[in-house]
Amino acid sequence: MAMVAFAGLHYAYPETVVRVLDGLDLEIDAGLVLLTGSSGSGKSTLLRVCNGLIPHFHGGVIGGSARVLGHDVLRTPTREMARDVGFVFQDPELQAVYPTVERDAAFGLENLGVGRAEMLRRVADALERCGISHLRTRAVTTLSGGERQRLALAGVLAMRPRLLVLDEPFSQLDPEGSSALRQALVAAVASGTTALVAEHRHHAIGDRAGRWLRMQGGHIVELPPEPPPEVVAPARRSGQPPSELSWRLDRVNAGHAGVAVLHDLELAAGGGEVVALTGANGSGKSTLLRTIAGLLPPLAGRVERRPGRIAYLPQNPSALLHRATVRSEIEWTLRRTRSAGGPEAVLEQLGLSALADRDPRDLSSGQRQRAALAAVLAGDPPLLLLDEPTRGMDREARAALTAAVTRIAAMGGSAVVATHDQELAAAVATRVVELHDGAAREARAPLLVSP
Amino acid sequence: MSTRSLAAWSGAGLVIVLSTSNPVYRAVVLLCACNLLLARARGGPGPRLLLVGITVAALTSTAITLLLSHTGQQVLVRLPTAIPAIGGALTLEALAFGLATGLGIAAALLTVAPFTLISQPHELVDALPPALARTGAAVGAALNLIPGTVRGAAEVRDAQRMRGWRARHVVDWPAVAVPVVLTAIEGSLTLAEAMESRGYGAATRTHFAVEHWTAFDTLVALSALLAAAAFLLLTLTGQAPGWFPFPVLTAPPVSMPAVLCCAVLVLPSLRGGR
Repeated sequence: MAMVAFAGLHYAYPETVVRVLDGLDLEIDAGLVLLTGSSGSGKSTLLRVCNGLIPHFHGGVIGGSARVLGHDVLRTPTREMARDVGFVFQDPELQAVYPTVERDAAFGLENLGVGRAEMLRRVADALERCGISHLRTRAVTTLSGGERQRLALAGVLAMRPRLLVLDEPFSQLDPEGSSALRQALVAAVASGTTALVAEHRHHAIGDRAGRWLRMQGGHIVELPPEPPPEVVAPARRSGQPPSELSWRLDRVNAGHAGVAVLHDLELAAGGGEVVALTGANGSGKSTLLRTIAGLLPPLAGRVERRPGRIAYLPQNPSALLHRATVRSEIEWTLRRTRSAGGPEAVLEQLGLSALADRDPRDLSSGQRQRAALAAVLAGDPPLLLLDEPTRGMDREARAALTAAVTRIAAMGGSAVVATHDQELAAAVATRVVELHDGAAREARAPLLVSP
Repeated sequence: MSTRSLAAWSGAGLVIVLSTSNPVYRAVVLLCACNLLLARARGGPGPRLLLVGITVAALTSTAITLLLSHTGQQVLVRLPTAIPAIGGALTLEALAFGLATGLGIAAALLTVAPFTLISQPHELVDALPPALARTGAAVGAALNLIPGTVRGAAEVRDAQRMRGWRARHVVDWPAVAVPVVLTAIEGSLTLAEAMESRGYGAATRTHFAVEHWTAFDTLVALSALLAAAAFLLLTLTGQAPGWFPFPVLTAPPVSMPAVLCCAVLVLPSLRGGR
């Protein structure tokens, strides 16, 4: 009997008529299965059918047949499905219920009414399998994204599920966190658990997947596996010699609440330069961006900027959207910054012309990310400051971002991109600056990793 | 201290404060609550902000009563009657009544404060009886709204500022408020989904950590509830009368047994509220 057996499955969210799943057929038996597809194609929807969040949590109109491990999903509530199906979500910060690691890992077992002795054993085992035994008593808020995501995995592994479902689990992680999670996941599959993983960063896990699936038009299409990524020669970008100074930090100390995390910084960039800012979490990347932006006054030293608007893209940029249409979102920026020109140019550049009159909150997450980019980049600002811009971004939005940064640099503007994302750095950066121990040093240009 | 004994303590304090108009009893409860809050906080910034907020609320209520009531016999000052609403006699009685009201508001807020400050979503999840498990998921997710909102607000404000936003007028605020609230709601929904996916409500919950209900918890809960019951009895039988400063200000009557009932609430802070 197949683990997952969907036949003629169709589904529409409440108050919509579009069938996100439209007569979908799928059988999964065992192993690791990768689910790809652009954002908004219905990957998350399909995953949520596997444990009954759809239809039981979200509502909507569902039809066809959906059986998972012998349960009829349409008639089995999610809390019952939880005995056999473990679910890991995209955002590492929104899954923990308890404040310490081992207590949170035990939450699912408490819910199932597992006895205390058995619970202690299973929690210890699950933490071990995810490589986070040493974090057992740590506060969840002190963990990195990768550690949190492994905790989420440990929490469901402790429940001994036969099917694991993971929704973009790598998309918000840095390379280190990604590889640790990958290791834990591969180990779980090796011990006999079946896993269905949706991920737009294919290379994060794709080489270990037995099957590649693609969501397209509400159906599943079987794909041949893509070849693993290969490392090629360093990207050589001559970059025009800096024409005009764009920004300069002169012996700057910077930090929040009077505590300096950056010391005596001497750093500058000119027009046409794109600086990739790297360094571990907490090394001060965001602080540096905020200092250049003028959002954070320096504790000592001087910050110079070429006059002109600054575009600042925070993490999770789609959180900026608040207007009724994509077009008015862009017009709002143009009006507030007294910039010339209309919204059409930037809509065109980011491939949003057809969506201009839609409500940004109704768009798919990838489309929202592009709408937020358009809202920030409208009016061709000469300085871009981007804080982990590709965190959680889909391929189309990444491509749009790369093109926009390159375009602004070509026009004589400059950009600073704080990022863990090697691919992005390789694609856009003319310089790499690494922050470490409060100091900055120039690093060599990153390697280019082909998809 | 256990969440449940603390809840019993908060409830008892609230019963006393709300059942009397006498500022002496309110003041005793307020002192006990302040003491507990400061003992638990160990100088963190949270309670300091809270205390400032409560003081402002109490003083505002005092000022409103003083400026608007215009009754009482001992006139402190006369504002020109040409001024709408606040023009007229400001009396000592109105000031005293305002202060007593402010004291009541502050005492009520403070008795609930230690409970709300420690109550994280998971503590609520633990404290609820199984029959309310479904509600627990909803409430836990809703509580998550608050810290999420605070975290998100500064970031969104800064980012909108770089898009040219300035807080000049009330109509400017939706640019920050709308994204912050929507993001927090989305976050709460995700947490609720995660709880559901991990089987919340599937069976009678067992517990990883043994709950530390100590003899001290029993003592705190029992003494607080008995004190509140005794205080109610004294009030209802007229042995602990309330107080009303109009038409002429008098000193509030004090009944020693009633004061003792209120003072029982100091018990949890004797052990630092832990």
